[in-house]
Amino acid sequence: MEMIVSFILAIVSYMLIDNVVLSRFYGICSFIGVGNKVKSAFSMGLAVTFVIMMATLVCYPLYFYVLVPAGIPFLDTLVYILVIASLVQIVGLFIKKTSPSLYKTLGIYLPLITTNCAVLGVVQTNSDSQLDFLTSLANGLGTSIGFLVVIVLFACMRERMNGYNIPKAMKGVPIALIVAALMAMAFMGFGGMVG
Amino acid sequence: MEYLTVLWAFLLMLGLGAVLGLLLALAAKFFHVEEDPRIKEVEDMLPHYNCGACGYAGCHDMAEALVNGTAKKVSLCKAGKKDKNYDPIIAYLSTHPDKDGKTNVPTI
Repeated sequence: MEMIVSFILAIVSYMLIDNVVLSRFYGICSFIGVGNKVKSAFSMGLAVTFVIMMATLVCYPLYFYVLVPAGIPFLDTLVYILVIASLVQIVGLFIKKTSPSLYKTLGIYLPLITTNCAVLGVVQTNSDSQLDFLTSLANGLGTSIGFLVVIVLFACMRERMNGYNIPKAMKGVPIALIVAALMAMAFMGFGGMVG
Repeated sequence: MEYLTVLWAFLLMLGLGAVLGLLLALAAKFFHVEEDPRIKEVEDMLPHYNCGACGYAGCHDMAEALVNGTAKKVSLCKAGKKDKNYDPIIAYLSTHPDKDGKTNVPTI
């Protein structure tokens, strides 16, 4: 029972308090780049969720049962990049075969997840802070749900802003950055929620 | 001792690379999707820069759009030359109809 409670608390804390985009500043590129339409933002969030969970499941045993016993934990970043890149490729091929329509919707964002630092950030945090398997899973789940929620909220706000009369110099990315900053300040309100 | 570390690192990267490479090769074979052979032919006639200046995600996407008629102009490809890329593609697409006998010939 206590384990389940701490698992859920860890998810909430990684999702809201240590939000991947707004307080750890990972994955800003796709956040700004894809977050202008709700539909593509949602599919990007789902794809990132899937890749982060897969990467966590593969990289955790690789680090603790291969790299550490062999005495070469310093190679972790190199190994993670290799694993994530291959995973994204395989997932891409799989989606292309099974669901061409989803493949079309995701388009270029699918291969771009390879270079999304949120994925690398999760697995790197897991090994650097020596988290146990359950907390690693909570980290992956919380981070990816946090990314999904924030990018969809951001896309909603940007879609609404299309109808407003914004000064010419602030149109597009500048106003988006201001919105992101306001969101980050709002998310600071979650600080201290989980003790 | 240091030699052992180097050896382990070398073996691990070699093994990991081999395993992942094999997995990718198997996945490419297993999840192979049959597509219009003309797409490959048209892609070979594009400059292969994958710059994305045409508005598509790389040369393969552009070739697909040209073949199925979504892209109406070959000059969308900013890196292409008239004699090297545009003319051969137009000539190829006007002589190679799809399996229903329909042709989508782009203009310059």
